[in-house]
Amino acid sequence: MKVTIPHMGNVYIAAKALFEGLGVDYVIPPLNSRAALEIGSLHSPEEICLPFKILVGNYIQAIEQGADTVIVTGSCGPCRFGEYSEMHMKLLRRLGYKVDFIVIDAPKSIGFKELLARISRLTAHSPGTKGRKWLALAQAVRIMGLLDAVEAKAHEKAGYEKVRGTCKNLLKKCRQEAYSCGSPDKMLDCLNGYNRMMNEVPCDRTVTPLKIAIIGEIYTVIEPFSNLYIEDKLMDRGISTRRLMTPSWWIRNTLLSPAGLNSPGIKTASRDYLPYYIGGHARECVGEAILSWKSGFDGAIQIFPMGCMPEIVSKAILPTIARDKDFPILSLVVDEMTGEAGYVTRIEAFVDMLERRRNHVVSGY
Amino acid sequence: MLYLGIDVGSVSTDLVLLDHGLQVVEKHYLRTRGNPIRAIQEGFRLLADQYGDREIAACGTTGSGRQIASVLVGADVVKNEITAHAVAALELDPDVKTIIEIGGQDSKIILLRNGVVSDFAMNTVCAAGTGSFLDRQAERMGISIEEFGDYALKAETPVRIAGRCAVFAESDMIHKQQMGYNQSDIIMGLCEALVRNYLNNVGKGKDIRPKVFFQGGVAANRSMKIAFERALGFEVTVPENHKMMGAIGAAILARDAVRKRARTRFRGFSLVEKHFESKGFECEGCSNRCEVARICENGMEIGCFGDRCGIWSGRIRTCRPIADSL
Repeated sequence: MKVTIPHMGNVYIAAKALFEGLGVDYVIPPLNSRAALEIGSLHSPEEICLPFKILVGNYIQAIEQGADTVIVTGSCGPCRFGEYSEMHMKLLRRLGYKVDFIVIDAPKSIGFKELLARISRLTAHSPGTKGRKWLALAQAVRIMGLLDAVEAKAHEKAGYEKVRGTCKNLLKKCRQEAYSCGSPDKMLDCLNGYNRMMNEVPCDRTVTPLKIAIIGEIYTVIEPFSNLYIEDKLMDRGISTRRLMTPSWWIRNTLLSPAGLNSPGIKTASRDYLPYYIGGHARECVGEAILSWKSGFDGAIQIFPMGCMPEIVSKAILPTIARDKDFPILSLVVDEMTGEAGYVTRIEAFVDMLERRRNHVVSGY
Repeated sequence: MLYLGIDVGSVSTDLVLLDHGLQVVEKHYLRTRGNPIRAIQEGFRLLADQYGDREIAACGTTGSGRQIASVLVGADVVKNEITAHAVAALELDPDVKTIIEIGGQDSKIILLRNGVVSDFAMNTVCAAGTGSFLDRQAERMGISIEEFGDYALKAETPVRIAGRCAVFAESDMIHKQQMGYNQSDIIMGLCEALVRNYLNNVGKGKDIRPKVFFQGGVAANRSMKIAFERALGFEVTVPENHKMMGAIGAAILARDAVRKRARTRFRGFSLVEKHFESKGFECEGCSNRCEVARICENGMEIGCFGDRCGIWSGRIRTCRPIADSL
């Protein structure tokens, strides 16, 4: 068995640690690029959302490198993503690829027994002891947590760093070095080191950079290729950003949701505008908009793929929040047709607007 | 002391010179024809006859070709069109609340409250209703674009055209022509469809309050103005220099930028004689495979853009202004 996973932000680094810890053979597909998207768009239905297409590209590229089993998360929620693993299986089979899927879903939807059965399909190929396997899983979760922490710090500090670009370069080096580590233990050491270095980036806390929250559909906010590297673009401009949606958040949220203990902050914050879970992460999006307004952010950027049903609902709600709270929110829709020029113009104009609004308030004009 | 503003758009390249009191002293409206470098050179040739390099106190660029233009001319400020249009309109009339801007390939709405941009939107997925589409229809009907709008003024009963999509709008127009409706009624119907499309897409959910400014090349079309007034129920103002508003805004922003910096980066009118060449290539440094554009002046590289990591765009620091002086 040779396993693979599709890309979503830094998940591939933690997945590599997991597979190495378990001692199973694996393939990490090439990082997302236009090549992956072109393959995906060629074989996917035209109207399907962007993540579907990129995922198809990842699978085919991995299969070409010898992968025969895909591990992917599922969701029995009302968003179309719930059907994607089934559709992908069908699509790949029709294209003549022989590939197995292991779909990891929330215990709430499939039950703990089924979840363990699915996980054991992967771990059965691992030569290690039971303890070793649990350790590998724990280490991978820890690695994901560290990666998310380093990334979040870099995004926050980008507004305060004394030398522009320090955080961005450190983050880039962190990813590269962590990925090249030979074992999960080494990777943990490496990430702990970068976490410390990120803490020590020289900052000037007297400046007041613009602060923007990145909200919206989970895949497109986490996977930088799909959102045309918006966080890098904002870091280049010395803007401090925050994104609550991370792979670690997803793990925590999924584990806590059966007990109803997941994301209490978001639940409270979204109560006035969207008190129900309507699928996808629409409620989270609305909640995060309110949360970022409360924590003094200058504005928020919502990103979602064209045709995303849950986010279309939140997009319709966000203007009301913007009006009520006097909190600018920009909605950006991405798909394979997204032209970078128009996209950048919107971001630039939004940043300009926030900047000018602020100067206006300060000068009391 | 003159301030130069350059707006390199998809269809037109506009150059303006503003004097100290921000009055337009010189304006040139040129067709970009897919070659922004040539258009800028052509514009500079027109200006170089009358003005010297030293008279230019500041220079700003805007429009979709703002990056390439800034490398070429040495701009003090590189700004997006939304800010540029808003600045120009506010300079003209501080009370303006809404700007409708329809250019060659995109349309925008900008809401202004208390003298700052409070909200904006651009057309997302479709270019139906922008200048290029009108150009094409005028050409198809054999009417020059300058007269196109006036034709519709004679309309008595505008025909209803499906304006959601440019291709379907065209089929619907052809269908109506074959049915024998007269040209004026069809053109007016088209204008109304475009306005309807604009208000339902770009203007969706936006609080459009008077005073409204209608800017961009399409504002020259008098029937579009009338169609907007009919749909909104109040007067829409078309500023005299509606086509040049982006360039005017860029010039004003450049003046502000130079005030802070005390010196312009303007490289002079001599670029008319130079030979520029732009080449695109795919960087093979990593899996991102960025499409990089390289601009060369007399064989010397003066600027690159399009790469994400900065390995190309960061190479030349001397003549490359920092994008947007945020």
